[in-house]
Amino acid sequence: MEYGYGGNVLRVDLTERRNKVEKLKKNWIKNVIGGRAANSKRLYEELDPGVDPLDPDNILLFGIGPLTGSMFPASAYFTISAKSPLTGILGDSAAGGQFGAEMKLTGFDQFIITGKASNLMYLMVSDSDIKFVDCPHYKNDLVVDVTRKIREENRNFSIQVAAIGPAGENKVSYASVISSGNRASGRTGMGAVMGSKNLKAVAVCGHKSVEIAEPLAFLSEVTKIKKEIFAHNEYNKRYNLGTTMLMTDLNGIGILPTNHFQKGVCSYLDKVSGERLAENYKVKNKSCFNCNLHCSRYYVCGDFESEGPEYETLCGFTTRIGASNLEFALEMNYYLNQVGLDSLSTCEVIGWLMECQEKGLLTPKDVGGIEVSWGDVDKIREIVQMITYRKGIGNEFAEGTTKFSQKFNEEVRKLVMQVKGLDIICGDPRGLKAYGLTYAIASRGGDHLRAEPFFELTERWEEANRRFGTEKAADRLAEEGKAALVTYSEKIALLTDCMTMCKNIGLCMDIINFENASNLLTYGTGIDYTPDYLRKILAEAIERDYKLNKKFGLKRQDDTLPDRFRKEPLLEGPTSGSIVDIEKMVDQYYQLHRFDEVK
Amino acid sequence: MIQIDISKCTGCRMCETSCTMFHTGRVNRNMARIKVVQLFQKGIDGPVVCHQCQERFCVDCPSNAMTIGDHGQIIISPTLCTLCGKCERNCPLGAIELFDKFVYVCDLCGGSPKCVEACTEGVITYFPESKKPSLAEFVNDGRKMNPSEKRLRYIEILGRAVRKEWRRER
Repeated sequence: MEYGYGGNVLRVDLTERRNKVEKLKKNWIKNVIGGRAANSKRLYEELDPGVDPLDPDNILLFGIGPLTGSMFPASAYFTISAKSPLTGILGDSAAGGQFGAEMKLTGFDQFIITGKASNLMYLMVSDSDIKFVDCPHYKNDLVVDVTRKIREENRNFSIQVAAIGPAGENKVSYASVISSGNRASGRTGMGAVMGSKNLKAVAVCGHKSVEIAEPLAFLSEVTKIKKEIFAHNEYNKRYNLGTTMLMTDLNGIGILPTNHFQKGVCSYLDKVSGERLAENYKVKNKSCFNCNLHCSRYYVCGDFESEGPEYETLCGFTTRIGASNLEFALEMNYYLNQVGLDSLSTCEVIGWLMECQEKGLLTPKDVGGIEVSWGDVDKIREIVQMITYRKGIGNEFAEGTTKFSQKFNEEVRKLVMQVKGLDIICGDPRGLKAYGLTYAIASRGGDHLRAEPFFELTERWEEANRRFGTEKAADRLAEEGKAALVTYSEKIALLTDCMTMCKNIGLCMDIINFENASNLLTYGTGIDYTPDYLRKILAEAIERDYKLNKKFGLKRQDDTLPDRFRKEPLLEGPTSGSIVDIEKMVDQYYQLHRFDEVK
Repeated sequence: MIQIDISKCTGCRMCETSCTMFHTGRVNRNMARIKVVQLFQKGIDGPVVCHQCQERFCVDCPSNAMTIGDHGQIIISPTLCTLCGKCERNCPLGAIELFDKFVYVCDLCGGSPKCVEACTEGVITYFPESKKPSLAEFVNDGRKMNPSEKRLRYIEILGRAVRKEWRRER
């Protein structure tokens, strides 16, 4: 591989403390590009589908793409994949920040990590040397401390670290991996997989260059994209608030999850909005590698300071669990990132408990003496600690709400807001039908990032007609045209994951399409990519995920939504009266993909 | 000189990427003549670059490979340079660094620095006529620091004032 790619793949066996460097083969990578699709292909080809996710034989992958760390704006992401301990199916989670760009300079496009170290250790990967470093003294260290110590011990502050906190060491099923101090690969429990391997951190430091096949043509595409980002009508809003802008936006259309999705409008929004956060606690903007949007933020609030929070964590620890205390959410954002817990799966345990206890369905005796009501911040703090260190009933909460709920009756079980065992994000699908379909079909479970069909919120009627054959595709309450929208945007979502680009820019701001992506990839790698070829290989990659999940035991009936969204309409606000006819949309989606014919 | 206001730095590192792209046609932070330090635990980010200081600690070169150009920039003669590393050791900021048989230091891009153009946040500005600063207070106090450690120390010191201001505001 001459251009774009680092050109090597690193295999690490932690049990034997051995590593092997392989060449990345052009004919292997060409039809998956890199990043998430390359990771999924690796799992498809090499993982025993019956493996226990916490067994040493589970394969932990770190993947980047050909344009990671290049001049291409926001090409900062990297994807961690493995079989998920939370869901038992395909697991993966991406993060921005600085890790991906540094990994690129090591010359490795993918790390393939198997086995289990005998003691807690970290991997130090550079282009010339792979070190297995024992670190029993890092036990229970917070992520920022691990990051600082690894840099100090190596006397090099360009080292980037992806680490787990105590939650990962304790194999909490939804433990996250945190890089660049505060950047979370949160979903599907990749931190628990690292913990099961006794791998506290992966550190990277490289000396190689990112070389582009046709630099001038590439730079001219890059310049166009930078200009589009600057000129975008949401630039200022995103610069000031980042994703926390969604608090006000989603409340305005009546779908801000409040009291565990029982309501979509929050009466105390002004206390917990992105605007209030920016006004009172933000001290500056932060950015991923080489991005000109700078949408991340740093805040200082009493004893707590950190980068973030993003919308999901902010909503998850305010309205979703009935808390009007912004300062508490800022404390939790810090705490969850540092102990390494996924904020969404954590807030689902809490929200679900609160609702079940409000309705009298679970007594304190059922749940280890816990009694918690909406917004009870002291109790929430205690529960989060119990989960992190698996104390008392926290040991069972640590297996995830879906698994924990199995010991109760159906009424209690169906109140878990999950798809395929993954707790859903903070967006009520009753007022976002394409998101509802995305949660149902997503190959990692109840999550929006597989398609991020933000288009349905943009009211671009003519464009909807042109792209998807009906204006309804841009009507958030309509179900018509949504299967077409999702099959389009899931390809673009996968494309951004393979190019390791940020989805806020690529998808929500509608910057990436098959045309400019094929130019960037062709000029970047010197391999000929056309828009049609991209469409073809992305469809194949989506089908490969589908087949992989079939091997893990998933069936058509798993592609659905919790009862609440299918049967109970919201009672107030601009989305009141709406429910999701998910079966019909999933059928249409299957027809478009012809999944029924896939063997 | 190039002036830095780290209070506005977001850590995007576009100054680094533009620098190496302009000089080498590639992206590689090791070859950047401006290098961003990030203190994740303190929220501080900031680029370190040659300030064309009054003292000119680096030009005390045993092989006379270093001269000062018309813009005040450091010029290194690749033919005279023996890669002894003395300039790297002498610079108090870690703004000069050897990598892969070459000495990397800011050359002001011939008078229109690319890092200044790249920075959209107003962190990096260029004042050709400004008074050169003294860096005496940053001279390595006996500890043997490598360039990465020196850059960290420099940004940590600048960061203290920024953090104080945050605490005052918040």
